[in-house]
Amino acid sequence: MQLSCVTKSKKWRKEMGTMLNEEKKWYEKAGKESDVVISTRVRLARNLADMPFPNRMTPDQKAAVERRVRDAILSGNSAIASDFDFVQMDDLSNEQAVSLVERHIVSPEFIANAKGRGFLISKDECISIMVNEEDHVRIQVLHEGLALSEAAEMADRIDTLLNESLRFAFDSELGYLTQCPTNLGTGMRASVMLHLPALTENGAMSRISTNLSKLGLVIRGTYGEGSNVIGAMYQLSNQITLGLSEKEAVENLQNITMQLISEERKTRASLSKNINVQDKVGRSAGVLKNARLLSCDEYMKLISNVRFGIAEKLLSGITLEDIHTLTVAVQPATMAAAHGSNLSAGQRDILRADEVRKALKALQ
Amino acid sequence: MMCQNCGKNPATTHIKTIVNGKLAEYDLCSECARAKGYKSFFNFDDMDFDFNNLLGSFIGAPTGRSNAMRCPKCGASFEEIAESGKIGCAECYNVFRDRLMPTIHRIHGAAKHKGKVPGSNALRIVEPAGKIAVVEEPTPIEKKRAELKEAIEKQDFEHAAELRDEIKEMEKGDGNHA
Repeated sequence: MQLSCVTKSKKWRKEMGTMLNEEKKWYEKAGKESDVVISTRVRLARNLADMPFPNRMTPDQKAAVERRVRDAILSGNSAIASDFDFVQMDDLSNEQAVSLVERHIVSPEFIANAKGRGFLISKDECISIMVNEEDHVRIQVLHEGLALSEAAEMADRIDTLLNESLRFAFDSELGYLTQCPTNLGTGMRASVMLHLPALTENGAMSRISTNLSKLGLVIRGTYGEGSNVIGAMYQLSNQITLGLSEKEAVENLQNITMQLISEERKTRASLSKNINVQDKVGRSAGVLKNARLLSCDEYMKLISNVRFGIAEKLLSGITLEDIHTLTVAVQPATMAAAHGSNLSAGQRDILRADEVRKALKALQ
Repeated sequence: MMCQNCGKNPATTHIKTIVNGKLAEYDLCSECARAKGYKSFFNFDDMDFDFNNLLGSFIGAPTGRSNAMRCPKCGASFEEIAESGKIGCAECYNVFRDRLMPTIHRIHGAAKHKGKVPGSNALRIVEPAGKIAVVEEPTPIEKKRAELKEAIEKQDFEHAAELRDEIKEMEKGDGNHA
């Protein structure tokens, strides 16, 4: 059984290079409310009761935790064994590892110290289980568009399944015990990735982020803690995990997200009548359709305007899904993983411009 | 008034948070406020915020006492936890509960866990009359062994043989976990 995991991991590694030709993954699709919501993520933090937390674990203990979590999912009597692969980080190149972060499958922290670490991933890349990150087990469910309750339900099912063979540290008052007290309680962090070009443009984000922090929610850059805001992409998530049930936290986040969506849409409707905004959208499309050199930053800024243009019907010819697929494909490490790792930044910018021109041919 | 986080600079930012209807207020210097993410949108881009470091200082500065109490399970002292912002193990939450509670309340409000409770297979820590007890449900293999004993007592040998084989299988499975 364990041997087959190794083969699976090697097979998966080979497939990574060709993944862009395969069936569409969640991050290439457009889901509910996709004009504003790119994707939804729900994460659960769990720890084994009989082991120290990762910061105080010996390498042997880390290996034991990894084995137990892996067996819990991949062992013969697990209902979902055939849906998951175990990937050992040591088997991946640096570019492949960074590409995982670009696709939000693992956290930046997870690959920063990847030696000896591994994770489980579902075939469709919607579910990943990181082992020995900040906590022993981090269950993560990703979904395109706005799908908070669906994602939370799936994470809950994976947790229940793991709980059949693993004992999780739990306290009746403090809930699930975590290495960092900020995750105590449900251990659940739910988030939505939002594209808010109009609210960014009219300077409303400052007021919004202040108001959100009062509601126990936090809004930050795309790749989570400490990351920058690129192309008007924001991650909105719940901050409080103790004293609110999973359901309450998800409902709260859902309500606020719906309010933000309606505010963004209203602002978009009025901005899209403004000739300066129309000009900016048109020029962005022009540059992307004709550039011969494109850095990732420039791409992200311009595609944000184009995405806004498509959603507001100022532009046509391509879909939001096309944009999602392209955006993942032109991230630096994902490009390197697909085209070979010895690309220089300059060569990458040429290749990126080529791919963007090709993908946006029908854009007008 | 000095900053409640670093204690070094005068507090310039007053922060109010309402968590679960409970108002928490603190005063921070501009640097700490920035680090915690309270700042204008216009500087949002270079927001760089490591909660663990900040948490370390929230939990309280290390006092450097040499005879510090240590967690019997993982060996962490409260000073080490305060410095790193990372709890050592599940047992630390019991050993250092009184000293961790103010921080936990600052983060989440004075709240008790609401939500999912693990299934019977999980370790439960309950506190009857102030004493900490560890209640463990029987594992599946223990349940089977009890069933086997019962079957033998009832002289249901066919069922007992089945159970014996099942237990053998389970024991094999357990070996892989060790």
